[in-house]
Amino acid sequence: MGRGILFVTTDQQRYDALGCNGGAIARTPVIDGLAAAGIRYERAHPQNVVCMPSRATMLTGQHVRNHGVWMNGVPLPAESATVAGLLHDAGWRTSLFGKAHFEPLLDPFLRFPENRMGVTGDTDDGKPHRGFEHMEFAAHGSGGPTHYGGWLRRNQPDHMGSFFPALGIDLEVNSEGGGESGAPQVRHNPVPREVYHTDWVADRAISWLGGLDLDDDWFCWLSFPDPHHPWDPPASELHRVPWRDLDLPEGYPVLQAEREAAIDAKAAHWRHWYDGTLVTNFEAPPRWVPATLTTDQVREVNAMAHIQNELIDEALGRVLAVLDADGRGNGTDVVFTTDHGEFQGDHGFLFKGPFHVDSLMRLPLVWRPAPSRAVQPSVVSEPVGLLDLAPTFCRIAGLPVPEWMDGEPLPMSPADAGAQGRQRVLTEWDSVHPGGAEVHLQTITRHALVCTRYEPGTCHDGTEGELWDLDEDPLQLVNLWDDPTRRSLRDDLVGDLVDALPERPRTPLGLEAPV
Amino acid sequence: MLERAVDVRREVVIGAAVDEVWKVVADGARQAEWFPGMVSSQVDDGIRTIVTAVGGFLMEEILEVDHEARCFEYRITGPMHLDHHRGRITVLEDQDGARVVYEQELEPKALVYVLDAAIGDALDGLRDLVLDGRISRSFVAVDDRSDGPATKGAA
Repeated sequence: MGRGILFVTTDQQRYDALGCNGGAIARTPVIDGLAAAGIRYERAHPQNVVCMPSRATMLTGQHVRNHGVWMNGVPLPAESATVAGLLHDAGWRTSLFGKAHFEPLLDPFLRFPENRMGVTGDTDDGKPHRGFEHMEFAAHGSGGPTHYGGWLRRNQPDHMGSFFPALGIDLEVNSEGGGESGAPQVRHNPVPREVYHTDWVADRAISWLGGLDLDDDWFCWLSFPDPHHPWDPPASELHRVPWRDLDLPEGYPVLQAEREAAIDAKAAHWRHWYDGTLVTNFEAPPRWVPATLTTDQVREVNAMAHIQNELIDEALGRVLAVLDADGRGNGTDVVFTTDHGEFQGDHGFLFKGPFHVDSLMRLPLVWRPAPSRAVQPSVVSEPVGLLDLAPTFCRIAGLPVPEWMDGEPLPMSPADAGAQGRQRVLTEWDSVHPGGAEVHLQTITRHALVCTRYEPGTCHDGTEGELWDLDEDPLQLVNLWDDPTRRSLRDDLVGDLVDALPERPRTPLGLEAPV
Repeated sequence: MLERAVDVRREVVIGAAVDEVWKVVADGARQAEWFPGMVSSQVDDGIRTIVTAVGGFLMEEILEVDHEARCFEYRITGPMHLDHHRGRITVLEDQDGARVVYEQELEPKALVYVLDAAIGDALDGLRDLVLDGRISRSFVAVDDRSDGPATKGAA
């Protein structure tokens, strides 16, 4: 019987999306079960809080500065070494189903291989692509050059228009509202649940796994596009989480004065975005003004996201059941995580952007080692990063971790984390926007301390920053950056951050699309 | 004439006679032969319809073909909504042959980076077509066209 690695990712999912992390809304028994049998990480951070840089980190095990994908729209160089390539070269069968996003999605002239594969239906690029011998893509709906879009067009053409169009007719992120509250990017989607992309991703993976020999070693990246906006799960599933029954999230200050005071305690671009006077990036609808967000809209978006979370859990359960049924489950490591988080109402916002708070940085991460290895279940609270995933896959496969990877294998226990000297995890953001905004953030998270410094840009002069003590202030309302009693702590953290970050590349990679 | 600041500008020098390069550029119906990602480009009464390899299309109005200045101007009219667009391709004399300058201005600017990279590819494609007779990867001759993009092998 071969060994298997099932790498499961979602897109834009919060830490508290899962029951095992304290989430009380979505029912996620499959992932909770993996956590109970494996290792659950309480402080896992991405190295960037948008898709392309974060996914490039997962694939390469590198800091953003080393793989070079500094912003959405920058393609990972074709020649970049990847963990999938290492595994493929070592004889493992390799595949990816769902959202890749190593190359820009907005590509009307099909400049990128992934998008060309999505249009032609090819499952490789004439050779393994980035180390994957088989790829089938899905994104956030029926649009775009994906295998899922082609499949839907051939099999359910009436539902091509059922999804919320993520982009508007001007190709900006769609600011329109929907649902019952008018929340942005919400729609009641008439598509049948069995043809929604979450189940399609699982179906395609099951099909590929079924074609392998039981003795094959394999690595399968199961990459669900949800719960990233648009929030348009099948309408048949809305009964799961009635939005009117939801409490507001703990991170949403209900009183306007309280909400705005907390925003004003942060760096200047928070308030500018809240008021609708600044667009820094392509990740949120430019014409949507966060200050207009209503409590009903917060509730409805949360309900939609949690419905999407439940569907993911059930789809993953179907894949695991197939592996258990044919005996491969016992030799399969499962790693579950996401690329970055989502505000989902926290601080008065939706979506994501240059905001290094737990809503976007604290990620679900669960590793269920193969049951045959009889690893003791554990909970690790030391900081780890997505750059540790690729080295972990190397370790599982019995391959040496190459020097070009910046991470190291995930600790399997607190003692293991201590032995590794786990102290910090780093996250950075660089963006330029055609509208003129330029923002640069770097953050160090050291246990309960989160410290962000802002480099000079169009919104910041380089003196601003944020310092949060999560033990005292888990909702990140009191910024300690300018607190004189914390000055030495701040200096220590900033010094540690500067020392630990790699150098920026001399020539940044080119930006070739907004997303 | 372009009306605002240029958002996107690329140029290439092609080792060929200016008139030879201009002849290709001036024929709006031939753009798909050298612009990667275009399946076809058809001109009817000053309106150019471009079918893209991704399965969509672009409608463009040809504003001016100035043979004296060797300048081709157009604007995208749909189906995407742009508040403003102008495109201009100019073929100039150069000591090494012909210098082709491709400029665009647009609003909103979501497509700035997409168009910048695409017209860079397009100028390479123009050079390949003029010098080597190589047509772009996506172009499909009229006799070979079907109703849409290829869909082989999909599950």
